[in-house]
Amino acid sequence: MKLRKIGASILAMAMATSMLAGCGETAAETTTDTQATEQTSETAEPAADTASTTEEAAATTEAKNIEATEITFWHAMNGNLESVLSEITDEFNNSNEYGIKVTLVNQGAYGDLQTKLQASAAADALPDLAQAYNNWLTPYLDKIVKLDDFVANDFDNWDDIVSAYRDECSEFGFIHAVPYNKSTYVLFYNKTMLDELGIAVPETWADVEAAAKTVMDSKNIAFIGYDDLAGAVEASLHQNGSDYVDATGAKFNDDKGLETFTYLSGLYNNGYARLVGEDGYFSNVLSNQQIASYVGSSAGVSYIKAEGWDLGVAPLPGNVQKAANMAGTNIVMFSQDSNKQLAAWEYLKYITSTDAVTKWAVGTGYLPIRQSSYETADYKAYMEENVCAAACYAQAKDFFFSPTFDASNDIRSTVPSTVESLVYDKADAQTWLDTVVGAINAQY
Amino acid sequence: MDKKSFKGYLYLLPSMIIMFCFTIYPLVRAIIMSFLGNYSIINGSYSSIGIENYKALFADPDFAMSLKNTTIYVICVVPASIFLSLIIAVLINSCKKTKALFQTIYFLPYVTSVIAIGIVWRWMFNSNYGLINFMLGLVGISPIQWLNLPQYAMPALIIFAIWKSMAFNILIFLAGLQTIPEDLYRAARIDSTPKLRVFTRITVPQLAPMIVYSSVIGMIGAFKVYNEVFSLFQGKAGPANKAMTIVYYIYDKFYNSYKYGVAAAGSVVLFVIILIFTRIQLRVTGGNKK
Repeated sequence: MKLRKIGASILAMAMATSMLAGCGETAAETTTDTQATEQTSETAEPAADTASTTEEAAATTEAKNIEATEITFWHAMNGNLESVLSEITDEFNNSNEYGIKVTLVNQGAYGDLQTKLQASAAADALPDLAQAYNNWLTPYLDKIVKLDDFVANDFDNWDDIVSAYRDECSEFGFIHAVPYNKSTYVLFYNKTMLDELGIAVPETWADVEAAAKTVMDSKNIAFIGYDDLAGAVEASLHQNGSDYVDATGAKFNDDKGLETFTYLSGLYNNGYARLVGEDGYFSNVLSNQQIASYVGSSAGVSYIKAEGWDLGVAPLPGNVQKAANMAGTNIVMFSQDSNKQLAAWEYLKYITSTDAVTKWAVGTGYLPIRQSSYETADYKAYMEENVCAAACYAQAKDFFFSPTFDASNDIRSTVPSTVESLVYDKADAQTWLDTVVGAINAQY
Repeated sequence: MDKKSFKGYLYLLPSMIIMFCFTIYPLVRAIIMSFLGNYSIINGSYSSIGIENYKALFADPDFAMSLKNTTIYVICVVPASIFLSLIIAVLINSCKKTKALFQTIYFLPYVTSVIAIGIVWRWMFNSNYGLINFMLGLVGISPIQWLNLPQYAMPALIIFAIWKSMAFNILIFLAGLQTIPEDLYRAARIDSTPKLRVFTRITVPQLAPMIVYSSVIGMIGAFKVYNEVFSLFQGKAGPANKAMTIVYYIYDKFYNSYKYGVAAAGSVVLFVIILIFTRIQLRVTGGNKK
């Protein structure tokens, strides 16, 4: 009897403590995750059938008659990014003539936002607006408001939006989002080290190999690393003039694919490239001068601590052509109420206006989504001082985004671990090709 | 139903409702979901009814690996943790003066966030400046790439988890030690029984219900390991996914791949495994008679 009593009290105690521990975890998880490198970007891949059920956008041609309302906007912008977003949003809230109030709700890191959106979609409790990557949206495409009518009737100049972003935002066969916090993958390098060794910034794969050999011979460290291995494979294939994947399977099981993997496997097998391992992100490795350069999202530049050395940023090296991954989310509208749709659109127009975009880009380091913002004096001045922005702009014409289809999420999660295994096994190029093709095709 | 038992059920009602909503209903839903092909949680649509999710599950090498990893994890973590906890609990219990202090210290890991602990252990496992490699270096063992190489992913996870799970076991054993009648020890002293014999013949048998309880709870918890993996490998499942566990697999299928049916099938398989193991364990230890 006594034992049972003790057992019961222990159980009660355990339950209470586990609840406490549970609460603590969510908060901590969010913080560990905030540095999460931006995942992928996506490409045009019309999916007209999935779009058929989407509700048509409220008519916008008639004279505007918007009632005062409150709009909820879920985002995953933290730290400085959040303050800039709040500032722009406050300006809108105070200046709009309709009494629209946009409430920003921080949902943590991208991963948290993704899971919350998914759960809310199932519970039919989606916010009016949310940041999202295209590949998050496939399960609830029919809950997204089509923006084509809004864009056609009530937007100053859609063609002013950078074309790769326009393509990405209409990849499901209709305009499902407006681009917002966009970044791209660039080559961050230790300028001091490269200067010391007399290495020019690599522009081609051959340059990378030569530079890597010099660094290896004199410093005995790797030259390059990739934060996003799936993105690295995809970009390298494009740089070699090859396709990556589409809705039917892998598209690189040929000579171009083999060449690409000869390059990548050579980098790893010679020790010219390394995996990030316990360091988590290459920004840490570069900060500690344990690597000469790495490919990562331009949005991660603030995580690099260049103490005692100078940071350089360059466009991604190419081979037969240049190609650079796009990253960063777009803003999607979910509200099904026509007044709220109109109100949310007013907000979207405001924050994507040239002035607001410039302010956002200068304040956060994200890339302007409008061509006209690049032309402003403010942004030009910013680019002169900011090496990262200049490098991003230099490769703006080479942007590509990875397509979204049923298997694309599985491919994104399979490729990195597959590549890691190949690196550990020191596999040859043909094995790389066969294994990566096999792993991708197994996801369909 | 007489008036008295009706009143009893009325008192039970709130907890029954909670249990039905948050345990029974999700369980039934998960089982149903696991038999629906291409099920969507968003609009409830599905393409077929059958065992195709289970087929996909058992054809997936990642699931096979997660099963293997989880089994290794359970087999290593639960007994090792109980054994070490038992020894530490007896040691703490033997010094009456410092007992309260050590009891608190050893319980701290239990009330600390796994994520926070994971950050500390990541530093301890670091191949260049980690404490563990430093200590190994003192006895002449060259640095181990704990978190960098696939073959060390599971050992690192297991070491971390044993330490993590000891806190709760020590607490239970300490509580159990209080209930052992002092007479038994006095009798042993009169017979000048060796200490080891006292431990194996008095302490362990008297603690048997606690040990059974710990091993059942520990095993169920170990089968559901996820947080430890997430925190030690920064949200991934270790190098080349070599520390993937069943729950990690389920989570990944659900939230990242949107394969809701496969995730449900995975959780049903996990449920059945835990059910079988718990039955076996209770039968072997005779725990269900208590």
